[in-house]
Amino acid sequence: MAGIKALVGLSFSGAIGLTFLLLSCALEDYQKYWPLFVLIFYVLSPIPIFIARRVSDDTDASSSACRELAYFLTTGIVVSAFGLPIVLAHTTIIKWGACGLVLTGNAVIFLTILGFFIVFGGGDDFSWEQW
Amino acid sequence: CWCIDIHYGTLPIKKNTQQTFIRLGDSMSGFLDGIRCGDCECNVDWGERRNTIASVAAGVLFFTGWWIIIDAAVKYPDEGQFHHAYHTCGVIATLAFLMINAVSNGQVRGDSYSEGCLGQTGARVWLFIGFMLAFGSLIASMWILFGGFVVPKKPVYPGIAIFFQNGFGLQVWTHRGSLAVTDLFTLGSFYCKRQRASVIIHFL
Repeated sequence: MAGIKALVGLSFSGAIGLTFLLLSCALEDYQKYWPLFVLIFYVLSPIPIFIARRVSDDTDASSSACRELAYFLTTGIVVSAFGLPIVLAHTTIIKWGACGLVLTGNAVIFLTILGFFIVFGGGDDFSWEQW
Repeated sequence: CWCIDIHYGTLPIKKNTQQTFIRLGDSMSGFLDGIRCGDCECNVDWGERRNTIASVAAGVLFFTGWWIIIDAAVKYPDEGQFHHAYHTCGVIATLAFLMINAVSNGQVRGDSYSEGCLGQTGARVWLFIGFMLAFGSLIASMWILFGGFVVPKKPVYPGIAIFFQNGFGLQVWTHRGSLAVTDLFTLGSFYCKRQRASVIIHFL
């Protein structure tokens, strides 16, 4: 087990990120719930990497085209999660303060997901990455 | 890999000097001595990192371009301000991007294992058409910016958005260009470290 401390730390930072997201919707100045759509991007973002790891089960060809495509799509989903609040704020559907809170929450959540991949390797067939 | 390896070099414990953690100057003042930068034993060498970095950079540029055009389309929804046919430019550029990235360098050089559907000449023709579409859409975006927005004195943000989507988002920069840029960085880092740049073989 790669450490309870890492797990607790990552879950704490995940909670902080979600707090930022909910603050951007629920504060009295803002009161618009459109930013919750970035939750879709949070859920979708690790899926291409999981699919690529499952499909290409040869670990020596670690720079296969499938992994590169997965990184490309994941980056696209991350960029979309940052782009959506900016577009919403630019067209004044939400306020710029709410946009800033959503962007901060995005950064924290994606760092948490990245931390999960680094610490836990994303799967039990990658246990040598835990060190 | 983590390039920073922090271990506590000095401890204020007065034990016998066989304690492996006690260094010279037996105090807390040297606790940053343990931080070593640039000393990392990366188990992933730079050759594999290059593709990852290029894919991530390509993804950032590509999707930023599309979000810029989405922003412009939402901000100026009616036909008079942002003629909807101008979206074609971005679509053709995306198609060109997919065409360019579908062909690997090995198929163009002819030294890959399988020939593919079209063979080596077919791969070259495919790549040629892909590059032509890409450059054509870049030129079209410049034409749209000046001919459709600057000269008729309309609000110019949609034109600029099309130009940026094509110029920085969807062009050859994505993936092949990102690979070239990371190769340049690799060369630069090897030059600075005075090592032999055997990775030049990876070029193109």
